[in-house]
Amino acid sequence: MFYRQAGIRYTSYPAERQLWPLGIERVLMGLILALALIAPALLSPLLLSSYLLPWVIWSIAALGLNLLMGGAGQIHLGYAAVMAIGAYSATHAARAGLPFELSLLVAGLASAVIGVIFGAAALRIRGLYLAIATLAMQYIVDFAIGHIPAISGGTQATVATPTPRILGIPVEGPVGGYYIALVVCIVVTLFMLNLRRTSFGRALAAIREKDYAAEILGISAFRYKLMAFWTSSFIGGVAGAILVFCYYRSVSPEQFHLETSVQLVAMVIVGGLGSVLGTFLGAALILLAPLALSALVASLASSGLPIGSDLRAHLPLVLYGALIVGFLIAEPLGLAKLYDNARKYLLVWPFRHARS
Amino acid sequence: MNARATPAAVAPEAAGTGPPATLIAALARNARDHGGTTAIRERELGLWRERSWHDLHGEVLALAAGLEELGVGPDTAVTIIGDNRASLYAAMLAANVLRAFSAPVFADVPPAELELYTRHGEPAVAFAEDQEQVDKLLDLRSSIGRPRHIVYDDPRGLAQSTAAGLVPYAKLIEQGRARLAAVPGLAADLEGRSRPDDIAILMHSSGTTGTPKGIAIRQRNAVAAAWSGGCAGAFATGEDTFAYLPIAWVGDYLLSIAAALVMRFTINIPERQETAMLDLRAVAPTLYLAAPRAWDAMLTRVQVGIADSTPLKRALFNFFMPRAIAMERRRLAGEAPSARDELVRRVGEAVIFAPLKDYLGLSRARHAFTGGEALGEDTFLFFRALGIKLTQLYGQTETCAMTAIQFADDVRLDTVGRPLPGVEIKLGDDGEILVRSQSTVDGYFNDPAATAKAFTGDGWLRTGDAGAIEPDGQLVVYGRVSEVVHTAAGDRYIPNYLENRIKFSPYIRNLAVLGAGKPWLAAIVCIDREAVGHWAEQRGLAYSSFAELSQLPQVCELVRNSLDDINRQLSAPLRIRRFVNLHKDFDADDGEITRTRKLRRTVVEERYAPLIAALYAGAEHADVEITITYENGTTGAFARRLALADVADAAFEDRAIPVRLGNGAQRQAMEGR
Repeated sequence: MFYRQAGIRYTSYPAERQLWPLGIERVLMGLILALALIAPALLSPLLLSSYLLPWVIWSIAALGLNLLMGGAGQIHLGYAAVMAIGAYSATHAARAGLPFELSLLVAGLASAVIGVIFGAAALRIRGLYLAIATLAMQYIVDFAIGHIPAISGGTQATVATPTPRILGIPVEGPVGGYYIALVVCIVVTLFMLNLRRTSFGRALAAIREKDYAAEILGISAFRYKLMAFWTSSFIGGVAGAILVFCYYRSVSPEQFHLETSVQLVAMVIVGGLGSVLGTFLGAALILLAPLALSALVASLASSGLPIGSDLRAHLPLVLYGALIVGFLIAEPLGLAKLYDNARKYLLVWPFRHARS
Repeated sequence: MNARATPAAVAPEAAGTGPPATLIAALARNARDHGGTTAIRERELGLWRERSWHDLHGEVLALAAGLEELGVGPDTAVTIIGDNRASLYAAMLAANVLRAFSAPVFADVPPAELELYTRHGEPAVAFAEDQEQVDKLLDLRSSIGRPRHIVYDDPRGLAQSTAAGLVPYAKLIEQGRARLAAVPGLAADLEGRSRPDDIAILMHSSGTTGTPKGIAIRQRNAVAAAWSGGCAGAFATGEDTFAYLPIAWVGDYLLSIAAALVMRFTINIPERQETAMLDLRAVAPTLYLAAPRAWDAMLTRVQVGIADSTPLKRALFNFFMPRAIAMERRRLAGEAPSARDELVRRVGEAVIFAPLKDYLGLSRARHAFTGGEALGEDTFLFFRALGIKLTQLYGQTETCAMTAIQFADDVRLDTVGRPLPGVEIKLGDDGEILVRSQSTVDGYFNDPAATAKAFTGDGWLRTGDAGAIEPDGQLVVYGRVSEVVHTAAGDRYIPNYLENRIKFSPYIRNLAVLGAGKPWLAAIVCIDREAVGHWAEQRGLAYSSFAELSQLPQVCELVRNSLDDINRQLSAPLRIRRFVNLHKDFDADDGEITRTRKLRRTVVEERYAPLIAALYAGAEHADVEITITYENGTTGAFARRLALADVADAAFEDRAIPVRLGNGAQRQAMEGR
């Protein structure tokens, strides 16, 4: 209905593979980008720092995990550990006097190196066994951080992060943190969008479908599985660093426990495996739905509905669970697929299906 | 009665000083002043390959230089056969550079008829699109010794061919370029040769009444036609056009060559005929000409798609479309739309019309024309209601398709518009429309007898159409003079008009209305295979062939209802009372229609004489056996028992025949060759 396809013609094959061939989608992307840029002026500081900022940061992390799960088909139940490695290495690097930009790089590299070591397990095992192996990574990293005071500063200790400096200029407050996170988010998003147009992305897709078959096609599963873990862990490390520098402003072991890993996996699955847009939607649902639901229940309770204080604590969780189950029953392929269905419905409007 | 009522002509801004003298001069001017602008966009393996005016100019001159070496000289013909290809268009112009003329032939002409289209102008060189056409030309050469040289565009299947005189298009260009480089001054010499009095192209009359006559359109005719169209606002400078019509039809020549050069269009050429409708969407032309059957086919696509759509979308369509059509009808009758109407139209535009125009590829069409024959009123209104400014273009091959046009703000349902600037129109004694203009040819090629018959001494062309000129200068066309017929009861009607009305039904693709000298009207109907097939599928009706589908009792009922709907809109004597669903579609290979899909009434009436007799005798069935011609020229016999049926209508007070339907008893025999 809103999509216009007449007059779209290509004079070269690269032009035919552009990201958004439809005019309205380009406009939409521009609009979203513009809104993201002026968001601090539109939203109250509370909304910005407790809703939008975490959404952007968790989206970066979920994008990294989606590269591994949706792109290469490798499950990872220890992604929070990957983020933890990034968070701690960036913090220590910055405290040692390294510039913030380089600290981010250190975070990515440290996560990538350690992530690849655990990812090597994927060369021999897959499916549930890989899930257990990555779960082991979660516990090993948790244990290592907790028991090496040189990293955590002690079992229950919290290490404050220095103020990030971009080109030597200190960036303070939620607004500055938001813009740092946004820039990183845009870079990672562009990378993910373009991934499927590269030989790397196609090789990952081949491995996702069947690694034997990919080998027969001449794609080195060894090389590409390690590259997938490397890239994904790199993004995870950077996301971890951004999380502690721009949002928590300090780093402690309990920020990166198993629960966080499971939440990240939930974001990817609810959003839609392999979809960039879905990752954002999934992160929003997993992250913001509990907050929105508690607010809703609280306002219902204060408006006079007889909701007991016990119920008031548990009802949001019940609704939250129901919401996730409901979405997955409605569309097992995730929120991205729901959007895709709506898009296709409007794309062929006013007909039932595409007609030649 | 002599009408020269023409709105004030506005000179197209492209011009500056005036029209170029010849098409070659126009090509040189475009290459000089707008060398970087895209002239031709041709789809090849999914990509739109572009040629600028500079490229095209160079290509045409190189081709001409190469052609001259093959022996093409002034006043000889160059045969062009194939679907629309940039190379074939370039060949047409290259022939003109050498003062020779192109003689395009319909791509689907069978080998046996090819001789008819190549008898004028001693064509020694032929341009063929692909191997299929090359084979036809080789056949032709084995029987009449011409053409000596065959230039082909698509080399697929020809690499190993050893036939003498086969030249790949690319090689000819190469030779031409080499020659241009070797002979200084040759390019300028070539560019300056063409004269306004040269024949630009040799068209053939459609042959509704016999063998096609050669119609020699001269350079000055072609330029004048394009210029008057520009002056009339039929098209502006720099339009995007879609070249998909047969290259041997004057409509394509006018838009894709004459007007394209004079008004500097960008010509978009689809990949193949089969992809034309998809490619149309990719092009979204600003100027679009289609024959009525193409508009009908488009309408059918929409109707079938909507019938198959979800209830919500169908309901929206059924709400907005009839209202928009009714509003357009009132608007054309001179009523201003009310505010409420306007609101409904705007919402409809957003919800239904704009998506439909986008789907059809007509969202950018500023100028849309129908031409060639009359378009059914309902189809016309449908597209105008969609918001496409569809107008009628009335013309003959002899006038380079430009006689009259409906001006944008002056469209009436019952007229074809006003004469174009520079076109004079008057009526002959018997009501025949006579035309005189700069774009009218001087006569038929090498046929003084036919020329004397069709042209008066002082340059007027007898169009053969019966018409009238309204007091305000609008021209009304009734139909062919030879086609105005009377029933035995003395009622006057034009079968073609009725046929076009009836073809609005998506289920009817072709039909012949009968009734000359008969007490009432009857029809031979050819169902639309796609639409009816889809309809049958949805209802779980099994069929294995067109013939079987056409004879299903339910399909008979479907056609009956369609006819009944139209009957209600017609005065009593013009109603169709009986009909038969033919077991095959009318086919140009069988001679039932022309290559441009006009009905050859006499052929149909002769061929189906027993069937027609049975229709009027009130029989329930008729056994029909006809000879059909296959594409390769072989023939076969096709026999079948057809069910004859009445159209139920209580309005027939003198009904003698009770309503009945044929049963399913059928006999089919196909005997090959």
